[in-house]
Amino acid sequence: MEEIKKYEPFEVDQHITAQSRYYAGRMGSRFYIALRDQQKILGAKCPRCNKVLWPPRSTCGVCFSELTETVEIGPLGTVETFTVVTYNEPVQPRKAPFIYAVIKLDGADTGMAHFLDEVDFDEVHIGLRVRPVYARERNGNILDIQYFKPL
Amino acid sequence: MVQKEQEWISIPMTVDVPFRFAAGQYLSKFMIEMRDNSKIYAVKCPQCGRVQLPPRIVCAECHVKNDEWVELSHEGTLVAFTIMYLPLTDPTTGKPHEPPFVYGSIRLDGSTSVLDHFVNVEPDMDKIWVGMRCRLVLRPQENRIGDLSDILYFDTLPGQVRPK
Amino acid sequence: MKRNVAIIGGGQTYHAARRHDVDQAEMVNEAVRRALDDAGTTIDEIDAILLGNMEFFEGVHMTDCWLVHGTGVYGKPGLKITTGGTVGATTVCAGAHHVASGLFDKVLCIGFEKQEEGDTGAILSGVAHPLWGRSLAGAALGYFAMMGSSYMANWGATEEHSAMVAVKARQNARKNPYAHLKLDITIEDALNSRMLSYPIRMLDMCPASNGACAVVLADEKTAKKRCKKPVWIRAMETAHNEQFELDWRFVDTKRLIFSKACAGRLYKKLGVTKPAEYFDVFEVYEPATWAELVWYEDLGLCGPGEGFRLIEKGMTNIDGPIPVNPSGGVLSTNCIGASAMLRIWEAALQIRGDAGGHQVPKDVRRAMTTAYGGTNWTVMTALSKTLND
Repeated sequence: MEEIKKYEPFEVDQHITAQSRYYAGRMGSRFYIALRDQQKILGAKCPRCNKVLWPPRSTCGVCFSELTETVEIGPLGTVETFTVVTYNEPVQPRKAPFIYAVIKLDGADTGMAHFLDEVDFDEVHIGLRVRPVYARERNGNILDIQYFKPL
Repeated sequence: MVQKEQEWISIPMTVDVPFRFAAGQYLSKFMIEMRDNSKIYAVKCPQCGRVQLPPRIVCAECHVKNDEWVELSHEGTLVAFTIMYLPLTDPTTGKPHEPPFVYGSIRLDGSTSVLDHFVNVEPDMDKIWVGMRCRLVLRPQENRIGDLSDILYFDTLPGQVRPK
Repeated sequence: MKRNVAIIGGGQTYHAARRHDVDQAEMVNEAVRRALDDAGTTIDEIDAILLGNMEFFEGVHMTDCWLVHGTGVYGKPGLKITTGGTVGATTVCAGAHHVASGLFDKVLCIGFEKQEEGDTGAILSGVAHPLWGRSLAGAALGYFAMMGSSYMANWGATEEHSAMVAVKARQNARKNPYAHLKLDITIEDALNSRMLSYPIRMLDMCPASNGACAVVLADEKTAKKRCKKPVWIRAMETAHNEQFELDWRFVDTKRLIFSKACAGRLYKKLGVTKPAEYFDVFEVYEPATWAELVWYEDLGLCGPGEGFRLIEKGMTNIDGPIPVNPSGGVLSTNCIGASAMLRIWEAALQIRGDAGGHQVPKDVRRAMTTAYGGTNWTVMTALSKTLND
């Protein structure tokens, strides 16, 4: 290169901040309102697949049927799988260590990911029977269930 | 459809995405020369002769490497403009630009490309027109940071009369 | 094209500033079910599904994964396409390529945007170069304002001309039950609406809409067997602009900018010499009034500097000789990911004679559509009633 002068590589640090508001729609609103006001957990029933789906949705992803019927599921459930989170990340809602578990509520065919508390890390296992602990102040979001704990 | 007073659930979210952007060889030279030496550099395509701003390694039209650097004048001509009445947010600072303000597209003498920037003129249709001559005003050297905001704005050259 | 491709059905949601009653999947599903019904087919018969939507405009990423139950792509080949305002047309373009190549016989293309949920302005600023243009990004508004000032300075048009476009769009929208801004406005109203960025006023700009559109594409054999009124995709062309070169906004530019380059190639392919006569209707992508006038010129419907004469004489009215945007266009409905697909679907409805209240009052055999997006590029689509047109 005939360039005599060297130019240091130039970098800038920036960030973009974006606000948004997600709408839960027909089925989603039914679910959150029932959770908030009645501490009931709803799933959507697919009559064609004969499955109860959580989270409830208006269409069955598998058979494409339109879903309109909701059924109460849980509140008791079974741990299908879990992990003990031992590192911190800014996007995580909690400080480590804590347990994330996938819980299949009684009457549902799909699992729900949530926190599992009030249990020793040594004692958590697949098949553990659990129940939800509801938040005292409920705002219509998934943290209206504060966490699950063993029976 | 149920037309009863129905509540629709929603949830607000804020996402802040930090990132680091590398200007690359060509734009680094442009930014550093502007910041340190008050010089505006463009590159010229060896094939079509287009003098391109900001400088970039390849001429997109000819697919050849741009390797001739050309120093541009600080003066140019206003090609188009707008008077902005909305307080547009500056995404790099998160603060709004105070409206109304004028910004336009200026073709610096010797350049094929244009440069969009603020024009330091009253937001008055009688005082601004397409074809006006302008000169760029840089931030005082000690405060320059090496991005396009080192150009504060364009001044219009004095003594111009609106045509027609 | 290797195999002929037809639009065998389509559908859209109604478009509005608020759709609190549905989540994204439910909204998309409305359009999908309408398209499948219109095509007389079911999801099981669809070979592949392409989803067009702008990344993060809804505050969520990877809508192709999120919305599987709404789009029906479960277990099928699928792609997500994200190309700015062109998205909807790019999605149809990709679908047409897939069918034309022989890879698939039936492809469902979907475009949607739920603009109320996200921060379009903030995310769009990411289109601008971090060092070169972001701190003074005037968004689409600033760009089209400069186009307007250039247009007036060079061609001698006035704000009245842009107002005529604003009125035509909203009056046409009143005939279209799906349109967002169905406004009974006059030129006076447009000229008195709030100035946003000179010379662009409130009524010179498109709204932010929520909505979805879907079309079903099929190969010739399937289309002829299954569909009474297939609409044929005769040519699709795309052309990009150079990121930093902003002269597409200047009507006096001497360069062969993306729009002219693209139209030139498409016309050459079809042997079109007089586009205003060749095509019976146009659906162009006009986020601002001035953009429509520039499209007239870039598409060769008139000479350079004559676009505003067309609107002045009412040539592009719904009942004029060169109808442009009888649907109300983007000025009346802008659900970004769907907008460019709506141009194609609306043009297809015109050819089928199914546009209802906004059907142009003449025999429509050929239609032309455009799109606009990203750092200025376009997708153009020419449609016809038969393969002989």
